[in-house]
Amino acid sequence: MNTFKLRIITPDKVFYEGEAVSIIVKTAAGNIGILAGHTPYVANIVPSPLTVSENGTDSRVAAVSAGVVKVENGVVTVVTTAVEWAEDIDVSRAERSRERAERELAAQASDKEFRHAEQRLKRALNRLTVSGKH
Amino acid sequence: MSTANMKDVKRRIKSVESTMQITKAMQLVASSKLRRAKERALAAQPFFAALYDTMSDISNDPAFTSIYTKKKVLRSTLFVVIAGDRGLAGGFNSNVLKLAAQKITELTDKKEKVSVICVGRKSVEFCEKRGFDIVARYPQVAESLSIVDAEDIADEIIEQFRCGYYDQVDMIYTTFVSALSQVPVAVEVLPVKDISTGLRHRSLIEYDPSPEEVFDGLIPQYLTGLIYAAVVDSFASEQAARRTAMENASDNAEEMIENLSLLYNRARQAMITQELTEISSASLRDE
Repeated sequence: MNTFKLRIITPDKVFYEGEAVSIIVKTAAGNIGILAGHTPYVANIVPSPLTVSENGTDSRVAAVSAGVVKVENGVVTVVTTAVEWAEDIDVSRAERSRERAERELAAQASDKEFRHAEQRLKRALNRLTVSGKH
Repeated sequence: MSTANMKDVKRRIKSVESTMQITKAMQLVASSKLRRAKERALAAQPFFAALYDTMSDISNDPAFTSIYTKKKVLRSTLFVVIAGDRGLAGGFNSNVLKLAAQKITELTDKKEKVSVICVGRKSVEFCEKRGFDIVARYPQVAESLSIVDAEDIADEIIEQFRCGYYDQVDMIYTTFVSALSQVPVAVEVLPVKDISTGLRHRSLIEYDPSPEEVFDGLIPQYLTGLIYAAVVDSFASEQAARRTAMENASDNAEEMIENLSLLYNRARQAMITQELTEISSASLRDE
């Protein structure tokens, strides 16, 4: 199996650095899969599950928030503000922030607060989906 | 010197000693916090470099334009003023706030609209007292700023900028130069400066859906990173300033104790000498 170098970077650390066979990320247009030898490519990613396969058979899933994926010179870089492996997600915390966001959405606040709450809800739902507890 | 006076000196020595214990402790705490803050600042580097690379790649494209890079006629400015939550850090807070006040009055004198986003308790207090127009307050975040907090601040800024309320966004914070030197700086955040490398060429990279969209989509992350880095930088500076201030305070306390002990010992010596003279003169008279 051909592998490529994968880096996942957040502001507080380099979350992942190593060889991978494939990743699947979600852009505004939908899911895209990246394999070794991909053409140079840059796209924004939306809060979604990110699937990483290190050997082609098993895969790990992480929840990523908004960011960008970049393929250049055979190196794939995912830059995002937050990322968590599925098994590390604090389900009760995600559940709580989902409830809070839903309450705020129901409160019919101003436009701005509505959009903030919506974004929080999306993030919380994404984490819950990835953790498989939803 | 009388006995009462000696007691006073003794009491002062005690009080200075206990103050010194506190300043020593604060110095140690600041040192360890500084080390952690420096690690955090270092950890944010790769994120920033990766974003910056992508953005400068995109701006190398000759056809590229974005609302975030267009220079506009300056009529209104939004300042993000980042200071600490606590005092006792030497000139740290007053230096950065002085720079902020200077920049803001410069613009208000020209009859321009100026608003502020305050980060850190000292910044909030200062801007409230000065009566600046405050858009948002973020007190008590300096030490434990999470990415989500930084994202909130970035969202707020982007929204105000996109709606056209402000033509420019500046950030004022203290940057960590070395353990002995921290400098307050004002940096232009939006519109994004031209960061192309000068080599204008059409890149072979495929942007999905288009370079402009990718660039605009990156702005929230870029700002989040910028704010996060600035707050971490400011926090490191605060700890370094506090450590230096507390080190000086401890040194001063030590010197004071030395002087007071000298005074006390002299007085004690004088009293013993006096007593001895009294005894010997009394015995001389008895003979």
